[in-house]
Amino acid sequence: MSGSAAETLFLVFFGAAAVWFGIVVFRTHSMVRSAIALLFAQTAVGAMFLVMQAEFLGVLQIMMMASEMSIMAIFMVMFMMDPGGLGAMEMTHQKRLSLKAGGAGFAFALGVILLGGWGPAAQEVPAAAAQTAALGRELLGRSMFVFESAGLTILTAMIAATMVAIAPQGEKEG
Amino acid sequence: MTVLAIIAALLAGVWLLAAIEGWAAHGRFSLIRPLAAALALLGRESIVPRKADRLFFEVAPVLLLVAGLLAVAVIPLAPGLIVVDLATGALFVNAALAYVLVALIMAGWGPDGAYAMIGGWRFLGQFIGYSMLVVMPITAVAMRAESLSTVEIVASQADLWNIAYQPLGFVLFVIAAMALAWLPPFDLPAAEGDLAGGIEAEYAGARLLVLRLARMVIVLALAGAVTTFYLGGWLGPWLPSWAWSGLKTLAVASAMLMLGRHLPRIREARFLELCWKAGVPLALVNIFLVGVIALVVPT
Repeated sequence: MSGSAAETLFLVFFGAAAVWFGIVVFRTHSMVRSAIALLFAQTAVGAMFLVMQAEFLGVLQIMMMASEMSIMAIFMVMFMMDPGGLGAMEMTHQKRLSLKAGGAGFAFALGVILLGGWGPAAQEVPAAAAQTAALGRELLGRSMFVFESAGLTILTAMIAATMVAIAPQGEKEG
Repeated sequence: MTVLAIIAALLAGVWLLAAIEGWAAHGRFSLIRPLAAALALLGRESIVPRKADRLFFEVAPVLLLVAGLLAVAVIPLAPGLIVVDLATGALFVNAALAYVLVALIMAGWGPDGAYAMIGGWRFLGQFIGYSMLVVMPITAVAMRAESLSTVEIVASQADLWNIAYQPLGFVLFVIAAMALAWLPPFDLPAAEGDLAGGIEAEYAGARLLVLRLARMVIVLALAGAVTTFYLGGWLGPWLPSWAWSGLKTLAVASAMLMLGRHLPRIREARFLELCWKAGVPLALVNIFLVGVIALVVPT
């Protein structure tokens, strides 16, 4: 089997895994299972990056999602009435609206993929270290404004979340 | 051949570490005891608790082992003696070990037991504390090497080991590594005294064996990472390079297993406070100092 055929095969495999774990998110009753399924859907996307030889992005995706989804899991457990899913809670709500929104989102993504001008495909994949360097230049050059505003937004959210979590003066925790 | 040599080194390392941990815990050094204990665990019934989340319960020990093995794969033992020399190796160590958190949450949630669950979620809190102290010292190490490849990082220390170049980063990384491997005094998820084993409480027999083996692999991977990032990896006179890596890794692992036993177990809130109020600013200072040195001192 040639290299590119194997690459396509793995890409399809991890793509299918990502979609399947995405479906599991809604099919399970347990909040923790749902969060972990989402985590593995994201990990599969990271694996797709690796198959496409975008090493830094792949490793970053696999690393970040492990912590992010785990933190999401504990929030889901804290806020939901039935985190273990023992009461067979339904994970889908407002089905008709969700279906329409999901369908519209899918159509939009498909439109961007098919109609967007992607430019000529790269003939050769740059070496992994060169990719990392190029990404660094991109983030600290052309995309710096977007990158920094995202960072500032997250910082604001973190400070706000900390403020909300701190008990008001004079009110001792029980 | 390389992979076989690394697997042999890994097995020998895990065996020795288990013996050293036994020595630290019970005061007797024996090379037979870890083998006997492993055989005994294999022979015992591996109980599955009632109403367990079976999938999580079964997957957690295996995921823990896989995370440890993946981290080991990018640690070089000698020039050319590495499973895969990734261009993002230093980041990959952290990516693989991030799944320790996922595995422990699954091991905590899976058995449907109170002690296990508290242990699992405790580790998530612990993670919030130590995770920045894993990544930020690695950033400073990569800054000096101008590469994330573990082989390049070792090569960058030919003149001066990073333990002397960035001692602050070394101290922070070792503390974070001990917290990641839930070694005393950071053994909150398994806390023997108050949680009766925590995440280990509901595991028995072969599954417990995999869990303990995975933990030792993780300790070994972290000691290998400390050796690679701060102690010059395979660099050293007289002995062959693989011997230097092995000796340094074992020494670091032994220190990690033994030192913390003399300290009282830290409280979760205190640990978070220390990490964020002292650890993160110190890690930033470390990055700043390394940056200044890199700019000022000609290479």
